[in-house]
Amino acid sequence: MQSSFKKTSPTPVRRRRLYVWLILALGSLAAASLLLAAPAENYEALRLASEAFYEISQKYVAPKSGEEMLKGALRGMMNSLDPDSSYLTPAEYQEYQKGTLGPAAEAGMELVFKDHLLTVVSVLDGGPAYRAGLRPGDHIIKINGQLIRNITTQEGVRRFQGTAGTKLKVQVLRNDVAKPLDLEIILEPIRPPLVTSQVLQGNILYARVPGFTDDTPAQLAQVMDDARRRLPALRGMILDLRNNARGSMEQAVRTASLFVGEKVIVSIKGRKPDTVQIYRGKERDIVFKTPVNVVVLVDQGTARAAEIVAASLQNHGQARLLGNKSFGLCGITRVMPLKDGSALIMTVAHCYTPAGLKITGNGLTPDVEAKKLETAALTPAPGSPSPAVDQDPLVKQAIDLIKQGRSEALARKASTPE
Amino acid sequence: MAMVTKNRTLISILAALLVPAVLGFSGDFYPGHTQTLRLKGQVLEPAEERPRDDESLKVFAQVIDLIEQNYVEPKTGKDIIYGAIEGAVSTLDPHSSFLTPEEFRELQIETKGRFSGIGIEITLKDRILTVVSPIEGTPAFRGGLMAGDQIVKINGKPTRNMTLTEAVRLIRGPQGSKVTLTINRQGFPQPKDFVIVREIIPIRSVKARVIDGSIGYIRLANFQDQTSEDLRNYLQKMRQRLKPFKGLILDLRNDPGGLLEQAVQVADEFLSHGLIVYTQGRSPKEQSMHFYARPGQEGEFRNFPMVVLINEGSASASEIVAGALKDRKRAVVVGTKSFGKGSVQTIIPLEDGSALRLTTALYYTPSGQTIHEKGIIPDITVKDPEIPDGKSLQVLRDEALERHMRKEGLTDKPWNQPLTKQELERDPVLAEGVEIIRNWPPPTLAKQPSSS
Repeated sequence: MQSSFKKTSPTPVRRRRLYVWLILALGSLAAASLLLAAPAENYEALRLASEAFYEISQKYVAPKSGEEMLKGALRGMMNSLDPDSSYLTPAEYQEYQKGTLGPAAEAGMELVFKDHLLTVVSVLDGGPAYRAGLRPGDHIIKINGQLIRNITTQEGVRRFQGTAGTKLKVQVLRNDVAKPLDLEIILEPIRPPLVTSQVLQGNILYARVPGFTDDTPAQLAQVMDDARRRLPALRGMILDLRNNARGSMEQAVRTASLFVGEKVIVSIKGRKPDTVQIYRGKERDIVFKTPVNVVVLVDQGTARAAEIVAASLQNHGQARLLGNKSFGLCGITRVMPLKDGSALIMTVAHCYTPAGLKITGNGLTPDVEAKKLETAALTPAPGSPSPAVDQDPLVKQAIDLIKQGRSEALARKASTPE
Repeated sequence: MAMVTKNRTLISILAALLVPAVLGFSGDFYPGHTQTLRLKGQVLEPAEERPRDDESLKVFAQVIDLIEQNYVEPKTGKDIIYGAIEGAVSTLDPHSSFLTPEEFRELQIETKGRFSGIGIEITLKDRILTVVSPIEGTPAFRGGLMAGDQIVKINGKPTRNMTLTEAVRLIRGPQGSKVTLTINRQGFPQPKDFVIVREIIPIRSVKARVIDGSIGYIRLANFQDQTSEDLRNYLQKMRQRLKPFKGLILDLRNDPGGLLEQAVQVADEFLSHGLIVYTQGRSPKEQSMHFYARPGQEGEFRNFPMVVLINEGSASASEIVAGALKDRKRAVVVGTKSFGKGSVQTIIPLEDGSALRLTTALYYTPSGQTIHEKGIIPDITVKDPEIPDGKSLQVLRDEALERHMRKEGLTDKPWNQPLTKQELERDPVLAEGVEIIRNWPPPTLAKQPSSS
């Protein structure tokens, strides 16, 4: 205790030394006064940073501009928080503001910068990235020969937007594949992802949601309602949320509402206790008036809105989750412009499932694990078409589950939440 | 495979991410752990004021403040400052990095070439903590631990779901202290406790074998404090026991490098005089050094034939050795182009126990060539067997592990046990090296352009 007390009360001598460092490292007089005003703990932290900057400025093999290092430091700081938090330079922030209108063309994949790696969360079915051979979980290590280091999620996403026809060479590391893969993506305009469906043998409805849009809840409601009317013997439903990381919380809530009605779908908690918000659906949204055996397919590419839907269905006993652990990313971010025209994107709240699980960092554990596949089957060659739905091993497993009927575990679960 | 190799795994993962070389690691030099410059409170004249930096610094402070006020989880200044330093360092070259206190400690263990523990390599095999091999002569070996033993508990703590790092941390400890491993082994009716007293365990980076009863084979896994000494010992033994001693094959394939001094000493072992390597930093005073060979070492004896094996995984220190021996025509270099890392890193400890690994200088071979991004070109190109496309790393690792546990790896047998024909057939690069020594001198040696 004593030593830590000492550390947090800097002596005047130490202050002066720091003052000297900062002048050397950053060429600024304001630095010292700024530090003296900071709380003791921040003082320690800033002193460490200035020590590091000083060493770099003195000893690195080539001269380095302080400006560039500071930008790198700001990026690193935000990246260390979580994959959704980013620092945007003034130029990047301007691009970001334009980008909200939707890019002319893109690769059709969701990316995050996580654990120092630009990682593919999900790949849009049949989109440019999918056809190029990218798969969820891939790490992009080079774009057009350039090594990817310390970029932000936002910047990573922007690299894959541009004009239609733009070719991007990417080098990709895939888990369990020894050699990096060289792939080429050609950007193209992406239409909003649509819900597709078909009725599988045995009166089972299969619905694929590749990503969420404002129209998704209505589209899915239509599909479910059609099946309910046309198939009196509807035995079950497979809701395929694999490889789906696109969508907003509101879209997720409206979609989950089709299954769980007015029950709690998700709650949002920030730092302060008074920032809890609980989201419920509407009872009249419920499509199936009689219980239908629903299996939701999830995998490591299931994130954000898809995780909200999957968790709420699971928690309320409306569905079993089948597949692999989901990505675990669901936060509410806020954009905070800074004085110099740059901006922060910062996670200010987390999503919690009705059962109280924080989605970010945890992910959803499926009720039934996917059967293990041969490695060859997991890594299809670039350009290979996706298999027919009823040939998909996980869909087959889902059909078997539905045929076995609702397990007792599910019945028990239905009574627990809230 | 932990214990000995845990940190290398970390570095190799990083390197694998940063470089396209497959199974090739970028290594680093640490010319001594330099101390931070201390200014002892002297007041220097402020440099001319730069308003843009001033603005940047204000933004920096504002960001810390915003995170503390608004981020979804409470964060202290310390939490975020590591991220900041990492971010700043990542604007430098790929070989510069920030080390957390834990990473720094691991690095020190690796470069010192010794730690206090019991002397086993462990791995997670089918998610069970498993002994890969007890290292001969260590407490684990004497205590009767065997390859394939499953470690169920460490000091009573179940190892289920334990990470390798955590297991290593629990097994290591101060010299003279005890650790209890609960071991499950085929043939045990129930798990049995092994109480083992920890001692200082040397990490061996040098392994050796004998070919044809007359050719020495020495493999360097990396360059740490003990490397040149171990190399010298093997060389002495070979010279005493192999009659005739026809030559040496020095295998630097997949050797990611290590300490600069060790590279110099290894090259010196085979050279009697002249320049080995020189470095150039930003300020000529601090980082520019020339390293010369001294006469009188074992490897200079009668200038015996010598072949150096390299591949794209041979980096930094390996390239200094290969470059010097090639430039000075001491050895024929066989294999594929080396990695091409021509920079020197210095470890700079920071005051809270973390450290910077900073590129402080570039190095050049005796002929004035930079290795940077060029690599060492072998005199004779022979490729390692291709890794089949799409074959998973896990499968490759498992295969290597199985061989290692059965003691079938090239360097798992005692040094004086002759290499078999099959072993040579599996390794075409080594086989070529043996051929060259059998038919010494090679025609290529005469054709080499002379260096200044």
